[in-house]
Amino acid sequence: MDTFLAALFSGSSRGAIYALVALGLVIVWRGAGILNYAQMGQAMFSTYIASTMITNGNSYWLAFVVAILVGAVMGVLLDILVMRPLSNKKKTELLSSESMRAAIPVIASLGILGALQALAGIIWAAEERGFPAPYAQEGFTVANNVMPFTSFDVFVITVVLSTLALTSLFFKKTGVGLAMRATALNSEVARLSGIRTNFTRSLSWAFSGAASSLAGLLITPTSNLSPNTLDLVLIIGFTAAVVGGLDSPAGAVIGGFLVGMVISFVSFYDTPEDVFLAILAVLILVLIIRPRGILGAKDARRV
Amino acid sequence: MLEVKDLVTSFGSVIALDGVSFTAQESKITTVIGANGAGKSTLLRTISGLEHPASGSITWSGKSLIGMRAEDIVRDGIAHVPEGHAVISELSVEENISMGSLFRLRKFKADVQAAQDEMFELFPRLKERRKQLAGTLSGGERQMLAISRALVSRPKLLLLDEPSLGLAPLVVEQIIDSINILCRTTGLTVLLVEQNANTALGVADHGVLLALGKVVADRPAAELKADANLRAAYLGY
Repeated sequence: MDTFLAALFSGSSRGAIYALVALGLVIVWRGAGILNYAQMGQAMFSTYIASTMITNGNSYWLAFVVAILVGAVMGVLLDILVMRPLSNKKKTELLSSESMRAAIPVIASLGILGALQALAGIIWAAEERGFPAPYAQEGFTVANNVMPFTSFDVFVITVVLSTLALTSLFFKKTGVGLAMRATALNSEVARLSGIRTNFTRSLSWAFSGAASSLAGLLITPTSNLSPNTLDLVLIIGFTAAVVGGLDSPAGAVIGGFLVGMVISFVSFYDTPEDVFLAILAVLILVLIIRPRGILGAKDARRV
Repeated sequence: MLEVKDLVTSFGSVIALDGVSFTAQESKITTVIGANGAGKSTLLRTISGLEHPASGSITWSGKSLIGMRAEDIVRDGIAHVPEGHAVISELSVEENISMGSLFRLRKFKADVQAAQDEMFELFPRLKERRKQLAGTLSGGERQMLAISRALVSRPKLLLLDEPSLGLAPLVVEQIIDSINILCRTTGLTVLLVEQNANTALGVADHGVLLALGKVVADRPAAELKADANLRAAYLGY
């Protein structure tokens, strides 16, 4: 029973973080049609900035907010300086085919990931360092028993769930949210409706950058920080996004928690070495049963 | 007045519009007819800023539209209903409509609601289905929704691309009637692209006949309709 609870709790706090990462990927995929491999590179970079601020005596919370803002700004810069020029150049020979046009921004994002990791290595040295958690990472004690759940886990789940709830409200209830959804679903009709799609697209990048930076801040206390630590998080987050349905934000969240649970239960009941095998199995299983992911788009019913 | 002069639009080596010139008078319905591939849709797409012309000029009320982006051209009062019942299937009817007036929210907040209500009055079926996803609507309802989305931006000029495509004759009649009434009562200028020349010429004041990217006739609609030679040569009936 104790093992079960431990796996459940650890799975939900890990899953919450993967949900954030997957959501970041999905929002840019929907909004700009780009799989952003640099996403966790941006998160790594902003977490380093937070780490440096804390080392220099700033409060954790100031560093926390700054890192998220830096993540958002990096997302916007990536869009304006790299992605937009790349996808606008329709007439060059290189970009003449549709598939090349779709592939080039993705390859660019891989390049940016490499550049960010190299840059972080130069600035902060490539060795691992710890990153602080704002709350205790020891389990609660109930009647002299140490529970498998820490205050930091509570913090992670609360922050992520409220972020997800606010995001969903934002997309459903505000005009800007509607404009972002419209741009993602059909940018031509959005433009004809007077929506400035360049702006809404940049907002998607900002949102994704902020969400992944938040994920970086929440995962590094348990994983440590180095230029490459978050690579694995990107891979797991990507799996979560595909399992949930790459074009569905709600699916990303479900996929994130599902993958988190799988990882946690496998490492508690089996061995941590089998975790990736298990994720692969889940991925293949979902792709066989529902190739578009759990909540992937179905064609709307025509009457 | 919409004034198009020597407009050339090409896709790579394919010239879709080859020096098109015509004018559309204010508060009138001008229809652009012609066979498949004549360049009708490209003409509308170039006017609304979705395509950029290689040369030529487009002016609306004296202002040049060349080089402007589609999202800004709407804000200048030109709304485009593209071909194929262009609505966003994954959004609700209400969301599709309010999408068209998002840019007016800040300045004309009160009128945004009024415009939406007018659409529900014009097309009561949309009101019944306001919470439904647009993807669940019938073809005719989708076309009504696409038109509503365009109209809530309070355009002075409405560009309509093949509203009759794939619809039952009765529905076509209903939609064309609504447009006609709107034009006559509110002074809306309409540029109507149609393959169904008979329907279009029946309601329009003026007709422009396009063939292979060139204007071959530019006359009052009634005259065009009566010209059996032109019909036989270019429209095939």
